[in-house]
Amino acid sequence: MPITKIASADNWELTVPGRIDGAVANQLEIEILGAIRAGAKEIFINLSQADFICSAGIRVLLQYYRQMKNNQKVLLVTRPSPNITSILDMTGFIDLIVEGNRPTT
Amino acid sequence: MNISLRNDPVELSRLAEILEEFGRRHGLTQRDLLALDLSLHEHLTNIINYGYDNTKPREIQIRLRLGDRLLHLEVEDDARPFNPLERPPVDTTVPLDQKPLGGLGIHIIRQSMDQLEYRRDGGRNILTMRKRIA
Repeated sequence: MPITKIASADNWELTVPGRIDGAVANQLEIEILGAIRAGAKEIFINLSQADFICSAGIRVLLQYYRQMKNNQKVLLVTRPSPNITSILDMTGFIDLIVEGNRPTT
Repeated sequence: MNISLRNDPVELSRLAEILEEFGRRHGLTQRDLLALDLSLHEHLTNIINYGYDNTKPREIQIRLRLGDRLLHLEVEDDARPFNPLERPPVDTTVPLDQKPLGGLGIHIIRQSMDQLEYRRDGGRNILTMRKRIA
């Protein structure tokens, strides 16, 4: 299943379904770079339909979270599925999720 | 349960399906199954991507045992010597801006498993991972 994108003004949403392994992480990076080149100020990575993310995927998210932040822009994960929330929580990357979608302790 | 994988990234999808079936059969919680899936995915990725000088087909052996609420995994390969535990642990308390981009795979294995041991034996790397499960 491909990554789908919705762009409105400077706000982009990329929805990544299924298993985010190394190959999908590479595709995600290409999509993020496309959004950045198109001038996106906010990029939300919708992981509601993803069931797994590996270190390659987390690295892409972390790298572009930082790059956007350094340019006063935003890249964050939205609507993570329970599996994605578990993985980001287990691995110490819960802060990649937009604040309203993080699990409450 | 013993699984034999070729050193090819496409094998990782096959492994994921085998683990899902294993998890279903043994009633693992989703969180425990994810920890198992992640750890093996990360370690196998490192072996496949960095372990060999050429693309000749090699076999990687995985032994998986479940007993007494303890998951016991062994991954054995004949790639170049590599001890993943030699890397210092990532400081998990630093904020996102300061987390390192490298070493994430091994960091994930450390976070997902309770106990890790490495040994080199007869030209083979053997990583043993243990996890108490719910």
